[in-house]
Amino acid sequence: MIEARGLTKRYGDKTAVSELNFTVQPGIVTGFLGPNGSGKSTTMRMIVGLDRPSAGSVRVGGKDYRDFAAPLCEVGALLEARSVHTGRSGYNHLLALAQTHGIPARRVAEVIELVGLQDVARKRAGGFSLGMGQRLGIASALLGDPGTLILDEPVNGLDPEGIRWIRTLLKGLAAEGRTVLVSSHLMSEMALTAEHLIVIGRGRLIADTSVADFVGRASGNVVRVRTPQADQLRDRLLSADVTVRADGGGVIEVTGLSSERIGEAAAAAGIVLHELTPQQASLEEAFMDLTYDAVEFHGGTPPGDHRPPGDQSPNSDQSPNSGPTSIGAKA
Amino acid sequence: MTTATLDAPTGGPARPPTAYHLTQRRVIRSEWTKLRSLRSTLFALLAAVVFVIGLGTLISWAQASHWSQASLRDRLTFDPTNVSLSGLFLAQLAIGVLGVLMFSGEYGTGMIRATLSAVPRRLPVLWAKVLVFGAVTFVLMTISSFVAFLAGQEVLSSQHIQTSLSQPGVLRAVIGGGLYLLVVALLGIALGALLRSTAGGIATLFGLLLVVPLIVHFLPESWSNAISPYLPSSAGQSILAVVHDPTLLSPWPGFLLFCGYAAAALAGATVVLLRRDA
Repeated sequence: MIEARGLTKRYGDKTAVSELNFTVQPGIVTGFLGPNGSGKSTTMRMIVGLDRPSAGSVRVGGKDYRDFAAPLCEVGALLEARSVHTGRSGYNHLLALAQTHGIPARRVAEVIELVGLQDVARKRAGGFSLGMGQRLGIASALLGDPGTLILDEPVNGLDPEGIRWIRTLLKGLAAEGRTVLVSSHLMSEMALTAEHLIVIGRGRLIADTSVADFVGRASGNVVRVRTPQADQLRDRLLSADVTVRADGGGVIEVTGLSSERIGEAAAAAGIVLHELTPQQASLEEAFMDLTYDAVEFHGGTPPGDHRPPGDQSPNSDQSPNSGPTSIGAKA
Repeated sequence: MTTATLDAPTGGPARPPTAYHLTQRRVIRSEWTKLRSLRSTLFALLAAVVFVIGLGTLISWAQASHWSQASLRDRLTFDPTNVSLSGLFLAQLAIGVLGVLMFSGEYGTGMIRATLSAVPRRLPVLWAKVLVFGAVTFVLMTISSFVAFLAGQEVLSSQHIQTSLSQPGVLRAVIGGGLYLLVVALLGIALGALLRSTAGGIATLFGLLLVVPLIVHFLPESWSNAISPYLPSSAGQSILAVVHDPTLLSPWPGFLLFCGYAAAALAGATVVLLRRDA
């Protein structure tokens, strides 16, 4: 379990991480999402004591990382930038790390096999491809068989087969009861791997919620309906809580009613439907939507283009019932 | 991998065997593995050995072959021990650079993140590097000093200007070769940890050892005479002199002062290592 309380990191007058509060639970894969520069890596570096918080704390299993007698056996970390001396072989790199804890060479061979680096382990790490480097980093994270794993962008540079491998690996590790925190800016990857999400933007917490809830919240219950009797149906559906938007060509988008209700209303009025589709925003859209204001460097696209169809007021429709509301995005 | 053990509700899988934990001794072992597993380190150490023995012998040979043309003054101040150990001055380049690289090499490649995540209290890493690289330098360079001395005296004996280990101060100077380079190594380690950059560390180390004495030399003589003996380089090299040089401190006080410089740099390194983000 990882707990951040009021976690803050300032570099000069720039605040990289601002009063983060979150808890990462064991047994599931937790995704750590945020645009580039949002403070994900800084947070992860603070977890393993490489950076010291300016205020607040982050603890693993209730303890400060520096106080562990066997840090490698508590937390395994794959940090974003490569952390390997280019002149040393992968095997010797892992061996040197293992030796600090008295972990036997047998275990080194084991993790090398686990990540599939047997053939290159005796070669200089400087010659490793990006994917091989990631695998070596994962091997060093697994070296101490730790109860907590934090991985910063682990799929970077991996081929599709490698990405699937790491997805399975992470899920397996979580299923064994470990705490697994994985950062990414690739939402699609998170949708497949993570069960829970911690979303940050500009160093602030934007959401701490399940993946399903995160997507649900952002999609705003839009249902797309195609019918030759669009006007009639609209008149039937309109009420205080329901908005209907006509796209022309017999297509309307209904917000505030489930597809079941719409179908029933249409049947009652004898209206023919050609299509009745609940619109799910993708995790990607949900993410763009929530973090747009928190992105540090924008391209030229206006915010509206990222939003799921029909979602007219993206930042006001957040229900207060799950997780923190998006304070950071607007403030 | 351990298999699923879900009985511990918050702690995750089975706790590691208690045998696995950090100790200073294990960190030392790890640093030894790091040292021996870099080819560049091994080459540089080999170079240092070759410099001490090869250059010392070569210069001894040059001195012997020109002895008949030497002036009376040169003959009177001739220090056969120092001449045979002259390769140390070149070897200090290799040792100093390696010392700086102990830390700067890790900062440059990112290895430091792995090292300090494994040893989050950090100082054990500094002590382990000091011990491992210090010991390797001292042992290798002391042996090389002896070999260079013996080979040099053998060459000088052709002109009967050799000395022997039983002469006063000679043994101290020969062991001093290893001691001097040991402290150069420690200075390098400290500067690498302080500055984190290879270029900056090397420039500072050799600026201090080679350039500062030159600059002091340009000062008015009364100033330079007053300052010069206390510079790190002259203080350290006083241990290598057998024939007394009036511009140097006496051997042991000079060497102690040199150690003081290294200790101050190491103290600075501990502060920076603990305080600054990695």
